[in-house]
Amino acid sequence: MTLKPLPSGSRLEGCTLSGALSVTTQVRDAVTVIHGPAGCAQHNLSLLHAITLENDTPDLPLLLSTDLDEGSVIFGGEEALAAAIREAAARDPPVVFVLSTCVVETIGDDTAAVCGRDWPVPVVHIPTAGFLGGVFRDGFHRALHAIAGCAGDRADGPGGVVLVGEKNLEYEVDVHGEEMRRLLAQLGARVDLRLVRGMEWDALHRLASSRLNVLREPDLAPLGDRCRERYGTPFMPGYPVGLAGTLLFLARAGNLLGVNPAEAVRREEEVQQELLSRFSDLLGSRIWNPSASGSGEDAQLVQELAAALDLQIDRHGTAVPLPDPLPVGTAGIRHLLHRWRRAIHG
Amino acid sequence: MGEQIRRAKNCTACANPVWPCAMAGAVSCLSGIRDLAVVIHGSSGCYYYPATLMPGELFGTFLQEPEVIFGGGERLEAVLCTIPDRYRRIAVVTTCVTALTGEDPSGTGTFRDILVVDSPGFCGGMEEGYRLAMEALAPCADPETPGVNLDGLHPADSFARGNRREAERLLALSGAATATLFSDTTLDRLHRAAPSSLSVNPDLAGGAGQRIGSLLGLRNTRASFEALADACPGTDPDPVLREIRQAEERIAYVADKFLRRHDPPAVAIFGMAAPAVAAAEMLTTFLDTQVVAIGSRNRPGLSRFPVTQMTSLQEIRAVLDREQPDLILGSSYERMVHPQSAFVGITLPLRGRIQLRARPLAGIEGALDLMEQVLNACMDRARGRG
Repeated sequence: MTLKPLPSGSRLEGCTLSGALSVTTQVRDAVTVIHGPAGCAQHNLSLLHAITLENDTPDLPLLLSTDLDEGSVIFGGEEALAAAIREAAARDPPVVFVLSTCVVETIGDDTAAVCGRDWPVPVVHIPTAGFLGGVFRDGFHRALHAIAGCAGDRADGPGGVVLVGEKNLEYEVDVHGEEMRRLLAQLGARVDLRLVRGMEWDALHRLASSRLNVLREPDLAPLGDRCRERYGTPFMPGYPVGLAGTLLFLARAGNLLGVNPAEAVRREEEVQQELLSRFSDLLGSRIWNPSASGSGEDAQLVQELAAALDLQIDRHGTAVPLPDPLPVGTAGIRHLLHRWRRAIHG
Repeated sequence: MGEQIRRAKNCTACANPVWPCAMAGAVSCLSGIRDLAVVIHGSSGCYYYPATLMPGELFGTFLQEPEVIFGGGERLEAVLCTIPDRYRRIAVVTTCVTALTGEDPSGTGTFRDILVVDSPGFCGGMEEGYRLAMEALAPCADPETPGVNLDGLHPADSFARGNRREAERLLALSGAATATLFSDTTLDRLHRAAPSSLSVNPDLAGGAGQRIGSLLGLRNTRASFEALADACPGTDPDPVLREIRQAEERIAYVADKFLRRHDPPAVAIFGMAAPAVAAAEMLTTFLDTQVVAIGSRNRPGLSRFPVTQMTSLQEIRAVLDREQPDLILGSSYERMVHPQSAFVGITLPLRGRIQLRARPLAGIEGALDLMEQVLNACMDRARGRG
């Protein structure tokens, strides 16, 4: 089988629109208006369709395309956008998101002005503009910032933990979310909000009373900073990776939550020891992964597991997989070690 | 243009559009020409969708903002320089933004023989892009070329491989050679096509030569091979016609057995118009089926069935909710929004199922396969296993 190899670099990192859609389509009952030709919406719907089938989720989000054609491109598409927002609002959704494409950026439509009119439902404009607005990651961040900006003022209350910026297109996204729930539960904390995954718009206010925000990745730190400034909420900069990394996560999260983490860390150590004992048959195996020779987080994970299971890292060893993003928490390591065992003994 | 302006003024939004744009259609057509390098001149966002559909290699300029402002010529030239020598020619497909900025890629740097296909997404649906690409390829027929061309082969279609094999088999059975395959060929053969063609999907623009008929459904296949005998002296349609009769008997036998226990299914059909109508013909002929709706992805031609163009999943869902068909022929979108109906896939996308074999929709085997799948799906549903 031939897969098209893609060189790396920001040029290839996908469309801003797709990044924003990966967030807005996770707000339940929301409508996302895509201001551009129908093809832009269709490309993304096709992607979401494939992912919803993989994740056994029952249905597709509603994307309304302004369906610009040659006439609209020549005469402007602002009225088409206004009509689409009207149509979206008539469905009485909790919120309408409006995403622009590179076509409307090129023809000079004032999307922000149309969104700023007096609409009967909240209309949130997320300037995406396809590749003219950056890459996938930019759209993803802009959508998260735009939604977080609607959370309202600081609210007092018991508050829980907010998971921020889950990768909704990731195959293991819910497995990772479940692991975060499990780890945080050991500290007596509950996940109050997933910003944004399957989120009810009405639940967004929980961001304002959050005790701790856990960011999916460190590059979401600007959003973590913004919430800390606005609501005084501390944040963890990323999900835990590796055995020691998971224990460290528990210790730091416990401190930020004002909970003594010692018992949770001790219990998790026991879980990890039990896990490693289940893979003792791998002892002495020779493994190889190209990441192993580096110094990044991926290399550290391979080296840590090799040390824990007494594996030899050897260029001529069995090629073992390492997913990108890296596995989360102790459960992620369990899944990874099953795949390694399959590779070694398979 | 008048109609387009009226549409803009009516400003009807399209909810969950399901049909690919013209750019994807153009790329699909061109990617079937094996010695032609296909470059998508636009952003990575425009590249990735066709790249997931097409089986072959695709190139892209992956434009960034400065290249739109200051011109993408240098970037295009840099990409063209990386194209391997095994390609004899290069085609550049424009996307919405490069079409709007008016770039002319035809004379990029030292590259003087670029085939430019101006098919931005906003100019129409996939079939329109396919047509524009075929027009740019400008295939021609050579009266000296023996055999019969096949057209309507569409590399992104999961039935393309099966359709090709079945059409070649039937041609061989009638004593005719297969000439040029549109679009699954080389540049040389594109310009040495035979004077006559058969189509496995008449909704896609033909290549060169006179189109004799369609191979969708048994009725069309019979008519096409009878006509072929007149157009191509020396061919013998009898073996094909004999096989069609045998296929009809086999289908009639199992369909009759089905009808002894079950009512005919009410069916809703979605796909390109020609395959959808051909499927409706088969189902009404053999199963006395009630066709409750045909939603075509492209603009439909004339047929005895009422066909409405539908490219919005919301519209499709509304039809399915209203009609509550027993059986749906369509894509995985229709299956997703109405899982309670029996389902048979006939159009892209067909996600969530594995298909490894070369499954045809055209020709005799295509007709047999369709009826087999329909009857099995209906029986599974009746047994509560659908």
